[in-house]
Amino acid sequence: MKYALLVQGAPYSQQASHSALRFASALIARGHTLGTVFFYHDGVYNASRLATPPQDEPNLVEAWRRLHQEQGTSLLVCIAAALRRGIIDEREARRHGKEGHAVESPFELTGLGQLIDVHTTHDRLVTFSP
Amino acid sequence: MLLHILNRSPASSRVPFDALRAMGDNDRLLLLEDGVYGAVAPLAETFASIRGRIFVLKEDLVSRGLEHRQAETMELVDMQGFVALTEQATQTVSWY
Repeated sequence: MKYALLVQGAPYSQQASHSALRFASALIARGHTLGTVFFYHDGVYNASRLATPPQDEPNLVEAWRRLHQEQGTSLLVCIAAALRRGIIDEREARRHGKEGHAVESPFELTGLGQLIDVHTTHDRLVTFSP
Repeated sequence: MLLHILNRSPASSRVPFDALRAMGDNDRLLLLEDGVYGAVAPLAETFASIRGRIFVLKEDLVSRGLEHRQAETMELVDMQGFVALTEQATQTVSWY
């Protein structure tokens, strides 16, 4: 089956990201595919390329990126939730005259409408919230 | 059949009671994260009405030092068991 995950918890503050990542590994191990992870609310902080956790702790951003590399999982970030939290990509930085950016490929800023699409194009959608 | 996923304990939140009220006759409930506190007596009595349809995520129970403390009405599942529950349900509903 094709799965999608909705992640709404901030990394390192709540358990949601960790639960979602472990669920992702388990569903892949059972032969399913993980088509999409959608980051919403404080979940958008999972997409920050500037996150620099200690080396002996789980690197959540890296773990998401690895899912994209291994599974082709789309990593979608709600643009409205992200911009107001400073989680912007290069294009938005230019548009708003900001220096630096926090989002880069394979994470993509996208509209909330994509989440509705995910609902119709995947077999299961599981929400992980704080 | 829906799978309801609950990460709140009845000791600290009213959300578990909302979830129970919303559940259909065949729906199932999975306790995870802080929700696993509800698997231990006397809080486990909260879920007496859905006996046989309630599951607990083992690793969250273990990480809180509650292994073997769960009520006998609770069925333990690991992460793969959690995935299996989502396979069997038509949809999932997360309560938080």
